[in-house]
Amino acid sequence: MILDKYPAVLQAVPGGKILLTTTDDFINLGRKYSIWPLTFGLACCAIEMMAAYASRFDFDRLGVIPRPSPRQADLMIIAGTFVKKMAAPVREIYHQMPEPRFVIAMGSCANCGGPFHDAYSVVKGVDKVIPVDVYIPGCPPRPEALIYGVMELQKKIMRMKLAKGGGATLQAEKGSRDPAGGA
Amino acid sequence: MTREKVLSDILAQVPGASAAAAPVKDYPTVRLSQPSDLPTAARLLKDELGFDYLEMVTAVDWLGPTKTEGFLPAVTPIPFAAKAPALPVTPAAGPDIAYRPVLDLLWSFGNLKTHLKVFLRLEVSREKPEVPSLTGLFPAADWQERETFDLFGVRFSGHPNLTKILTPDFLQGHPLLKDYVHQPDEFDAD
Repeated sequence: MILDKYPAVLQAVPGGKILLTTTDDFINLGRKYSIWPLTFGLACCAIEMMAAYASRFDFDRLGVIPRPSPRQADLMIIAGTFVKKMAAPVREIYHQMPEPRFVIAMGSCANCGGPFHDAYSVVKGVDKVIPVDVYIPGCPPRPEALIYGVMELQKKIMRMKLAKGGGATLQAEKGSRDPAGGA
Repeated sequence: MTREKVLSDILAQVPGASAAAAPVKDYPTVRLSQPSDLPTAARLLKDELGFDYLEMVTAVDWLGPTKTEGFLPAVTPIPFAAKAPALPVTPAAGPDIAYRPVLDLLWSFGNLKTHLKVFLRLEVSREKPEVPSLTGLFPAADWQERETFDLFGVRFSGHPNLTKILTPDFLQGHPLLKDYVHQPDEFDAD
């Protein structure tokens, strides 16, 4: 019964056969189960990301299907070492994605520079360039950790409100995005 | 053709060349005495000895550590430049390698028929490192020389497009030089 599956989202009219929900909940439910990430890997974390897409871990069951174009993507997984020369292309790709758009920083390098923190060529965290919704620690994180990160993002999506911001993600140039989510 | 024959041919035909005291692994390694010998040696290798494959162009900065921070306590105090090394050097470097203010340039040539490999070494000054480009003989030298220029600041005279290839445009200096000082940029703030 669908009511058992989504108790907080859907409610039945007493005695009737009509399901009621709010616009926020309905739209967020759709967004939550169709997160399409950009096919985009920078270094070794991308190998774990590919494993998460493949049959053993099966990202598809969460509605996570990689897309080849930023125009079709909701989520950008920064999987790997983020070098300074890559900063401008990543910023451009991020702004090519339609709202609402989300970013997951996967692994130590994307979080803070990781083992390359003192290197001349590595950005000390992808949040210096674009806003980040979820940080996943690990070097590299296992596919389970990435799946958990996407589940945390799903929780965040369920807190989004259509009012005022029209469902768009919080406007921020960079840094960690407000954990409350939504505008 | 054997490696001994290759080595003796180069030593006989290139003036000022000597067998390097520090060979690269156990490959025949020739140390050139001045930059102008490089095109002579490369042309000899390509046209007469059949080494038609330029595998690698790179450099070593033998200045030694210029600061103590970042090293494990076991190896401090650091012997500074121009002193004999107390640190273990790599087996390939050999016992005659000491820290000294030079850039050691390295070329690797391969012969795809006989499966032989030859290395050329050439020391240039750190102040004004300049050597002739091999792009006329080996098109593959193009990006390799740009990389060596980008990371070590070696000028390859005659190169058609000697510009940065790896580091971003705003990065000042040549990062693989031992005395490189990093200028913090917008991506370094903590």
